[in-house]
Amino acid sequence: MNKELEHQFVTELEENQNIVHKVCTLYTNNREAHNDLFQEITIQLWKAYPKFRGESKFSTWMYRVALNTAITLYRKSRRRIDTQDYDSVIYKIKADEYDPTEEQQLKLMYDAIRQLSDIDKALVFLYLENKDYAEISDTLGITEVNARVKMNRVKNKLRTILNP
Amino acid sequence: MMDELEMLKKDWQRKGERLPRLSFDEIYKMIWKKSSSIVKWIFYISILEFVFWTTINVLFTDAESWELFKTLHLYEFTIVLTTINYVILLYFIYKFYVNYRKISFTDSSRNLMKTILNVKRTVTQYVWFNLTVFAVSLVTIIYGSLRYGPDGRKIVDAATQAGNETLFWVLIIGVSVVFVALLLLLVWLFYKLLYGILLKRLRQNYRELKKLEV
Repeated sequence: MNKELEHQFVTELEENQNIVHKVCTLYTNNREAHNDLFQEITIQLWKAYPKFRGESKFSTWMYRVALNTAITLYRKSRRRIDTQDYDSVIYKIKADEYDPTEEQQLKLMYDAIRQLSDIDKALVFLYLENKDYAEISDTLGITEVNARVKMNRVKNKLRTILNP
Repeated sequence: MMDELEMLKKDWQRKGERLPRLSFDEIYKMIWKKSSSIVKWIFYISILEFVFWTTINVLFTDAESWELFKTLHLYEFTIVLTTINYVILLYFIYKFYVNYRKISFTDSSRNLMKTILNVKRTVTQYVWFNLTVFAVSLVTIIYGSLRYGPDGRKIVDAATQAGNETLFWVLIIGVSVVFVALLLLLVWLFYKLLYGILLKRLRQNYRELKKLEV
């Protein structure tokens, strides 16, 4: 691996790091685990980078590797219940747009998403990132029809969690 | 509900401002860290399996053992078994290597999980193959010792004189079967535990995706 490649990779990842952070917030529930997963995803991205030929956008390519790492490779570290501090980072809404009802609802929804299975989380993530069904099915390795069916089920699941 | 999801989406897009931000240097340091992924663990465990079983094979076929096999009339049998063993070992190493190389994180999630499970399956098959060989050798050696071994003859003669030859053989077979079964059970439990811990999550997720395709 030459210096130029390293530099190029780190620059691109630095620019697009939000994608990885978002995956980490979905799949972990404390700061330490978040950092662990971020690091593992970075390692996997770097390992796969020499094969990345720019046939897709760097960010599109990242979605796959990041989700794959979270779904397949990563083992949850020992449970630590210090989510309080972590939640404030995820849910804090800027003061000028503060709306108690909306904030409450968002909190409920994020909590609900946390309870979903790994695969369901991946679907929600891709949905929130505005990915179309073609990309979702391609990323997860299921057919488009099944991606739709599954997505509807996830939405229903969220609905029941939110309105028991 | 749709409205709530739309609201969530909007909030999600805004999330960027509240996410942690790492510097170039922090990310740069990360790319040199060691991966702690399960694929790595499976790789190490597999290498250990290969080394372990090959060592056992080598240890059991030293010069002294060959002499013993000769006296037990198992010489040809052991030659054939050892040859088969090494051919199969080479085959498994090749298959392991090919499967391992196939693991790619840019693949779809389903394919990725499938290839990881395939690597694990190759190694498990190799372990079972070795256990079978081990069990067969054990039974043959017990039989050979009783038939041709110096002490074995005496034991068989004593049993014949006591008039219980059939019972004696039934007992021998029974004890061998129980012993082998117990051994296999132990090893099975060990692997169940080992891979159960390592692959629980991956299996769960793989099943969930696979279920969709039915």
